[in-house]
Amino acid sequence: MPALKQVGVLVDVTRCTGCNQCVDACIATNELGEAKHIPQETSDGLSADRWLSIVQSPEGGFVRKSCRHCLDAACVSACPVGAMTQSDEGVVLYDGEKCLGCRYCMMACPFGIPRYEWDSRAPLIRKCTLCYERLVEGKLSACVDACPEQAIAFGERSELLGLAHERLSQAPSTYLPKVYGEFEAGGTALLYISNVPLDFLGFNGAPGEEAYPDLTWEWLGKVPAISIGAAGLMTGLFWIIGRRMQAEAARKARESRSAEEK
Amino acid sequence: MTRTLRALIKDGLWAIVVAGLVAAVIRFAGGLGAGTGLNDATPWGLWIAFKLTFVALAGGGFTFAAVVYIFHVKSYRPLLRRAILIATLGYSSFVVSLIFDLGLPWHLHRIVNWQHHSVMFEIAWCVILYLSVLILEFSPAVLEHPWFRHPLFQRIHHWLHRLTLPLVIAGIVLSTLHQSSLGSLFLIMPHRAHPLWYSPWLPYLFFTSAIAAGMMALVVEGFLIERWFRRGMHLDLLTGLGKWVTLPLALFVVLRLSDLLLRGILPEALDGSWQSVLFVAEILIGGILPLVMLAAPQIRQSRDGLLTGAILILAGTISQRMSLSMFTMHQPPGMNYSPSLAETMVAFAIPAAAILVYLFFAEHLAIVQDDLPTPVPEASDAMNPLVLVNQGRPSRALFARWSGLATFVIALALPAMLQLPITKADQSVQRARGWETLIVDGDNSGYAVRFPHQEHQDRLTGELGGANACLTCHHLDKPEDEATACSECHTEYYQAQSIFDHARHQQVLGGNESCTECHAAEHVRLSSEICQNCHETMAPQKGNLKFNSFAPSYADAMHGTCLECHEQEAVKQEKPELALCSTCHTHRMISNPLGR
Repeated sequence: MPALKQVGVLVDVTRCTGCNQCVDACIATNELGEAKHIPQETSDGLSADRWLSIVQSPEGGFVRKSCRHCLDAACVSACPVGAMTQSDEGVVLYDGEKCLGCRYCMMACPFGIPRYEWDSRAPLIRKCTLCYERLVEGKLSACVDACPEQAIAFGERSELLGLAHERLSQAPSTYLPKVYGEFEAGGTALLYISNVPLDFLGFNGAPGEEAYPDLTWEWLGKVPAISIGAAGLMTGLFWIIGRRMQAEAARKARESRSAEEK
Repeated sequence: MTRTLRALIKDGLWAIVVAGLVAAVIRFAGGLGAGTGLNDATPWGLWIAFKLTFVALAGGGFTFAAVVYIFHVKSYRPLLRRAILIATLGYSSFVVSLIFDLGLPWHLHRIVNWQHHSVMFEIAWCVILYLSVLILEFSPAVLEHPWFRHPLFQRIHHWLHRLTLPLVIAGIVLSTLHQSSLGSLFLIMPHRAHPLWYSPWLPYLFFTSAIAAGMMALVVEGFLIERWFRRGMHLDLLTGLGKWVTLPLALFVVLRLSDLLLRGILPEALDGSWQSVLFVAEILIGGILPLVMLAAPQIRQSRDGLLTGAILILAGTISQRMSLSMFTMHQPPGMNYSPSLAETMVAFAIPAAAILVYLFFAEHLAIVQDDLPTPVPEASDAMNPLVLVNQGRPSRALFARWSGLATFVIALALPAMLQLPITKADQSVQRARGWETLIVDGDNSGYAVRFPHQEHQDRLTGELGGANACLTCHHLDKPEDEATACSECHTEYYQAQSIFDHARHQQVLGGNESCTECHAAEHVRLSSEICQNCHETMAPQKGNLKFNSFAPSYADAMHGTCLECHEQEAVKQEKPELALCSTCHTHRMISNPLGR
């Protein structure tokens, strides 16, 4: 792979004609086979055997939907066993050998991307890996390679951000003045420039600029302090209350003895 | 409570457990898809909601340990064992339920991977450790049994006794952490949880309500075991709990309301949606009402008042847990989650089994410590199990004798019932809403079929009469389903889908130079020539269409629906043009099809 600090993919929604060749390439490369169409699938075309789909925005544009490879990914932070990991280049990868199948990653993902093999007895999470094996071999992700319209660009994220802003400034009337993915969920490797709003891709209306792992870290960061604090408080209370009760009992005993003596 | 009634209740619990075992077979043989109603849009459901409830009701374990050992309130000691037993069973239920819910439970040992940024990791460890603590805390009760008179067991008993204080403190720390972390679990889901239940203070809300619920679970249990065993009520202690529970409960209510106020979400509580009604009911009936009731000494000192208050608090806590994690979770349209029968059976079988285990321990060990000198003798209508002679009503005795057998028969019949085809209910039909003329543009080409829906409807309702005319064209939904979105089966309904193979055309027409054959100007979809310019006589072959075979594609469905009737009518009315493609496909462009 070209030495990347942080992988990036720029999707130009205006260039996409919805031909689905990226989807076909994804199916072929990842050997996803014939779609099973289990009843648990959503209508956006993503499923355990479809990691990439072209959906239509409510306004009509053709929009690629797949894993966003967040810079600070909710799924990676949520996973209790480290089955979701992030490569050095920022690609979010999954290891089925470690997975418990708790589906916390699915719940945590603000874009609702990870899918599940509901029909399997040993179900795994499935999602886009940006064809990591191909990247390691120095090739491009299959979808990037397949696009006939050059609607998808691959490279260093910071450079692609530059390219995106360049296109926005060159044709401000074509694009909405925003690079989708620049800040959402703390920034994602997948960047979009578009003529139609792409907010339908995630968040369901929740504010989404913050990196999602920070939401739970706010609490988890306090865990050591709370543990030590609670243990200390309990030991202290036990000791103080115990002492006071002993003192009280001793005082009572003294009083009764002195009463007897009188 | 008579012996007969107790036998019936136990049989009922056993029936639920056996039904759960049947459901367990379905779950593990067929996977989570077969065993649950979960889906890709809603991957957590009833089992998670129940798990949160189990742990909340088990909150008495650490609360009473703290009260008795840390605060030295020795008078509550008679309740301690019961609290610890309930907690042990609550956490065991959590673990059993977890094994059902995990897709790959045999990977559970992987939890040794250190993942300190995962709430789930923290909860898993706290629960494992705390369950171990609880078992150690409870084991003296078991070791007192005559079976364990061997000196070795007595040595263990002695050592456990010496370990009490460290165990208690460890238990309190672990409970504090995971009771609150069960709330933190949802902090990462602002996009899923409903704003009225989501809060950055979820950890504090869960912690305070777990203390309240744990105390009240003891009160309700006290009333139940009084009826069951006719002893061991400790009403004075339970009244004391009714007094002290107002502290965590008031803290919970204040935190809950002030959080919503501070974040400006409270106005949303009064918008009249069903969620807001649920929220208001939860906070009023399950929070403020029992708070007021139990704060009044006259009410909490009356048996009915105390029990009502306790039940309301439990209902409020359960509602808060289940609403957050299940009822009000975001669901995309057309992807409604409702628990499957097997899922529900498992969910209820686990607490039913826990109650049976409770009864087993309570009957064989010194759990229920008396506040009455002698047990009240059994009522006289009880059946003598040895001679099967009943002095009371013979019918009930007969029923009790055979109910055990009946239980198993019914439970074993359940899987058969699961497979029963349920007859399709009458499809109630609504008239089409919206435009009189529907613009049908399945492939978003911009070239639409204008379908005069109103005309068709008028004609069909006139000819066939009644609402059933709609069924001529609309099959409406799947069997047993009232509101299936079309897109659920005709999956490309709302999706970009192209029956046009761009690469193939490019190749046939001569590579990159051929763009201008179709695209006179810009290379975008809308600038291209109309297909019919070339395809007047050459229709694309069926094999070239990119449709899935799962359900008829939208286009096939439309063609199938319209064509058959049109062809018949063409003959009948001697209007051959009715059957022509061009009658519907008028190649009229609709304005601004893609919003560009």
